[in-house]
Amino acid sequence: MIAVLGLVLGVVVGLFVQPDIPAAWVPYLPIAIVAALDAVFGGVRAMLDGIFSDKVFVVSFLSNVVVAALIVFLGDQLGVGSQLSTGVIVVLGIRIFSNAAAIRRHLFRA
Amino acid sequence: MSSDEAPRGPEDREPERAPEPETAAEHAGEGVGGDMPETPAHADEADASADSDESEESVEPSPEAKPEPALSGRQRLAAALWPPRVNRAQLVVALLLFALGLGVAFQVRANTTQNQIRGARQDDLVRILDEVDARQQRLDQERTQLQQSLTQLQTSSNQAKEAQAQIQLKEQQLGVLAGTVAATGPGVTLTIKDPGGNVQAAMLLNTLEELRAAGAEAVQINNVRVVAGTWFSDANRGTVTISGTTVSEPYVFTAIGNPQDLDTALNIPGGVVQSVASDKGTATVKRSQSLDVTALIPLSTPDYAHTTHP
Repeated sequence: MIAVLGLVLGVVVGLFVQPDIPAAWVPYLPIAIVAALDAVFGGVRAMLDGIFSDKVFVVSFLSNVVVAALIVFLGDQLGVGSQLSTGVIVVLGIRIFSNAAAIRRHLFRA
Repeated sequence: MSSDEAPRGPEDREPERAPEPETAAEHAGEGVGGDMPETPAHADEADASADSDESEESVEPSPEAKPEPALSGRQRLAAALWPPRVNRAQLVVALLLFALGLGVAFQVRANTTQNQIRGARQDDLVRILDEVDARQQRLDQERTQLQQSLTQLQTSSNQAKEAQAQIQLKEQQLGVLAGTVAATGPGVTLTIKDPGGNVQAAMLLNTLEELRAAGAEAVQINNVRVVAGTWFSDANRGTVTISGTTVSEPYVFTAIGNPQDLDTALNIPGGVVQSVASDKGTATVKRSQSLDVTALIPLSTPDYAHTTHP
C-alpha cells in the first residue's frame, strides 16, 4: 500500500514540479523508465507467486535501469543508438508482456 | 507493493487458527528486529529467485511457494494492499516507485511540451532536418507556382478588362452611327421654314447629303434619327415622311460635327440655303458648341446576317 502511495505521489509531484532534466540524460530516461517498469511487473508477479523479496526487487530495479541506460549509452557511442534503444525496448516489452500474462493468470485464472 | 510478502509467508499459515494475535506478533517482530527473522528466509529466496524474479521463477521457486497453497494470487494481492504496513521493505519499494512515477511524469511532460527535439539523437536530428528542408523546398515550389498563376490570372484579368473597355468604346461609337445611343457635341441647327409647302423629300435628302459630306456624325430631323437606312418620301404639301414617320415643316436638322464646316457647306453658293430660298422658304443655320441628338432607333438583331470571325 505504501508502495502504491509512493508511485502515485511520484506521478503527482512529477506533474506539478517543472521538470528540469539534464540534457545529457534525456535520451536515457525513456529507456530507464521502461526497464523500471519491467522490474515492477516482475516484482508484482513475484509477489503473486509468493516469492517476493524486497532485496531482489531493489537490485533488479536498479540494475535494470542502469544496464538499459548503459546499453543505450554504448549504442550512442558506437553510432547505433537508435537501433539499440529500439532493441532494448522490444526485449523489455516482451518481458513486460510475459510478466503481465503471469499476473493475469494469477488474478483472473485465465 | 507487497514487499512484506516474505515475512508474511510463514505467519499466514497460522492465522487460520488465531488471526488476531498473529498480526500483532508480526508487527512486534518487525518492530524489534525487523531484519533478523527475514534474512534467513530471504537469503535462499533471493538466491533462488534473483533472476527468476523476472524470468524463470515458476520453475525454481515453486518449492518455496508450496508451503502456502491456501493463498491464491488474489488473496496475496489483497493482503499486501490492506492493511497498510510500514516497514523497511515497503519504504524502499515505495521510494523506488516514487522515482519511477517521477520519471514517468517528467518524461511525459517533456514529451508533450514539444521539445522532443531536445532529446533526439544526432541521426534523428539529421533526418528531421532533411525532412524540414525537403518540406521547405516543396512549399517554396508551391509558392512559386501559385505566384505564377496569380500573375497569369491578374494579367488575363487586366487584358479582359481592357478588352471590355475597348468593346464598350466601340459599342458607343457604333451606337452613334447606328442611332441606337444618344449623342452630344458641337454642331449646327438648320431650321427650314416652308410656309408654301414647296420643300419636298428630295430637298431634305439633298440637305442631308450636304451635311454628311461636310462631316456630320449624328443627325436628327425634328424627332427622327437619321441613319444609313433612313428613307424620305413625299406626303402632303408641307409634310414629308421620313422612315415611316410623318414630319411637317418647319424642318429642324440637328447635326453634330464641326460647326464651321457644316455652316460653310450649307451656305455655299447654290447650296441648301439658296435652294430653299429659291423655293420661297427660309433656311437659317445656327452654330452651337453643345447639341444633343436624343432621338433613337430601336436596336434590331439581324435575322439572317451573322458576324464572321476573322
